[in-house]
Amino acid sequence: MRYAAVNAALTIFAAASLTTVFPQIDAKQTYSFAGSNALAAQIRQGAPADVFASANTAIPQQLYAEGLVEKPVVFTRNALILIVPKANPAHVHSVYDLRRKGLKLVVAAPGVPVGDYTRTVLHHLGLDKVLANVVSNEIDVREVLAKVALGEADAGFVYTTDARTVKGKVATIGIRRSAQPVVRYAVAVVTSSTHRAAARAWVKRLLGEPEQKKLVEAGFLRVR
Amino acid sequence: MRRAGIASVVFVATFAALGFLALPVVAIFARVSPARLFAQLGNPIVTDALLVSLKTTLVANALVLVLGTPAAWVLASRRFRGRSLLVTLVELPLVLPPAVAGLGLLAAFGRMGLLHTSIPFTQAAVVLAVAFVASPLYVRAAIAAFEAVDANIVAASRTLGAGPTRTFFRVVMPLARGGLVAGAALAFARGLGEFGATIMFAGSLRGVTQTLPLAVYAEFDVNFDVALAVSALLVLISATLLVTLKWLPSASTSRFRFATSS
Repeated sequence: MRYAAVNAALTIFAAASLTTVFPQIDAKQTYSFAGSNALAAQIRQGAPADVFASANTAIPQQLYAEGLVEKPVVFTRNALILIVPKANPAHVHSVYDLRRKGLKLVVAAPGVPVGDYTRTVLHHLGLDKVLANVVSNEIDVREVLAKVALGEADAGFVYTTDARTVKGKVATIGIRRSAQPVVRYAVAVVTSSTHRAAARAWVKRLLGEPEQKKLVEAGFLRVR
Repeated sequence: MRRAGIASVVFVATFAALGFLALPVVAIFARVSPARLFAQLGNPIVTDALLVSLKTTLVANALVLVLGTPAAWVLASRRFRGRSLLVTLVELPLVLPPAVAGLGLLAAFGRMGLLHTSIPFTQAAVVLAVAFVASPLYVRAAIAAFEAVDANIVAASRTLGAGPTRTFFRVVMPLARGGLVAGAALAFARGLGEFGATIMFAGSLRGVTQTLPLAVYAEFDVNFDVALAVSALLVLISATLLVTLKWLPSASTSRFRFATSS
């Protein structure tokens, strides 16, 4: 009877930026991808998750303090990048071009990890005023990606790993290292999980070399 | 014995149905005290969303009325090949998933869409999304109301010398008024609740495109109290609309029927 529970697919709540890579790492589990903040809200409301993987450390740390997840561990890192549609209708060639009036910039909402990172980047670059060009605060990074890839927005900030999933549809503009925020992903077993042993084993495997290699292949950065 | 059994099944089913429908609405008010609800109504996020919602829904409804009324009249008074196809087309947004509507609007009016417009991410985009999903409720009601107008009265008006325009405004419109008002109110209520097409086609920006339902979604994981307050506000507005509709003598439910698709 116990074995059946162990073999059953785990329900893994994961940040939207992990949408492509997690099923590549392990196709057998059931995933729910969304903004890490939205997933945390669902866990607070009692959603039946076994594992929670967030695009930052603050959200799982908060859930840990509330007793909703076990101690989170950092499992990968990422970086931000500016993307524009392949046709680049607004002729954006550097982050400083974002200052142009009337430009349609799409970002994630504050509270969504990538939304907060985006504001940090702009602040580091002395470009806080660029936020006046924001035409939409999206609910997660994949929505930002979609709106730029569709050509509806002139530019948007996503993770470097997201930009790779729509190659050919967007062009990328790098952000200098000194302006990059610290993007660390943390994973934790959900306290209310009925498969905690299996969930812990899954998290342990995620930290192992084969899985880490797959993350690096997808463009994620090793934990230093 | 058997009759008592059926009666108790009917009673339990009715009780379950009513309870199921009432519970989520009651729960919203149970989780937010009237004092907190009132305090949140002054929150700029809520007031901004309320203004955006009212403005876009009013403009969308005006569009639906101005363009939908003549369309409904044509569909109600003429019999021609392809009529039922057109009626189906009018009704389609009613059953279409809002996300599909949003995608369709992007494909049509997006910068890379068929018409190459710069409407996405503007308040006009919210208006289009609302008009698209809410119009069937009005047009269907209007077709039914026009169909219910006695053709003999219209003919009498014409034989007495009134032209088609005069007949329409002085005879047909007053007779159909009840159904038209009911349809407009339902379309308004549906428009206020629009979410899926709006978030895909117009995005979400406070004070510009963030309507009340979008504010509920945005605040759900940021400030649950605000999300609850906005939800309560939406429930109150919608309930008020429905209650007003029932009290209007000219818009009584007996006059309100849906169009036949034949």
